[in-house]
Amino acid sequence: MIAFISGGARSGKSDYAEGLARQWRDARGGGLWYLATARASDDEMAERIDRHRRQRGAGWETLEVPLALDAALNEVAPGETVLLDCLTLWASQWRYGGGGSDAEGRDLLARVLAEARQRHIALVVVSNDINEGLPAEDGDTRVFVGFLQTLHRDLAAEADLVVQLVAGLPWVWKGEGP
Amino acid sequence: MRVVIGGTHAGKRDAVRAWGGTPCWLEAASLLEGPPPAGDLVIDGWAAWIASQLAGEADNDRLRARLAQSLDALRDAERRTGATTTLILEEMGRGLVPLSRRQRRLRDLNGWLAQDAAARAAAVYYVWHGLVRRLG
Repeated sequence: MIAFISGGARSGKSDYAEGLARQWRDARGGGLWYLATARASDDEMAERIDRHRRQRGAGWETLEVPLALDAALNEVAPGETVLLDCLTLWASQWRYGGGGSDAEGRDLLARVLAEARQRHIALVVVSNDINEGLPAEDGDTRVFVGFLQTLHRDLAAEADLVVQLVAGLPWVWKGEGP
Repeated sequence: MRVVIGGTHAGKRDAVRAWGGTPCWLEAASLLEGPPPAGDLVIDGWAAWIASQLAGEADNDRLRARLAQSLDALRDAERRTGATTTLILEEMGRGLVPLSRRQRRLRDLNGWLAQDAAARAAAVYYVWHGLVRRLG
């Protein structure tokens, strides 16, 4: 099972995704994994990471995964449940922090989704809607948004459950929510 | 007339292509050059058209009215011919208020255009990460 959860900043994406991952794990048994793409690059980021960690509570195996999503998934046993939060940050690190080309990033995500399917890993992916504001003035940012949107479209097409969060409320686009 | 709206790179064009048919794809700016060809139309590039008009028309209300006239003409032509006209519009109103006056005007006029087009359309679709949902 693969779920894609997205929405604006502070729309309630992480809370919803954490609840969904817990439900899936409770139904299926096995471990509950948190793949954190965030790096504590400054004090504000460290505080943000700490807030997310406190909200999640106990019971999560956390892996910090700035780039190598495929290697991180290898740590997870078949049948376990994984929350990846968040794809937007991963995409920016991939593009600007030494990951590789956009095409390679797209391929890596496709491999991760295929691997999750093959090994019956329940995977919940959180990302951000950043494509509904005024297009960025600088070309590089526009290209980044295009890259992220390619990942989002691939993920939405592949996922069994796709949910948009608005003001904490889930709007199910595909599949059936819990 | 139908409206397809979504953010940049949301998959709007792919959604319209998936509906099939062989419509003529036009840029909105071409409507200034004369009446569009007969048959089914898909009209894109509205934000670029608005952006190109900002310097020549300082009055937002007049510019909005000019855009609304284009929408009326498209709707009337569609009624006469029985063809289907699809407008692809870009959602760009969900970020910070832009610092520059020009960008604020572009965002405002683009939003008003979406409201005016939706009010005239028989169907409105929202495209989000490649998925399509009818809003009204």
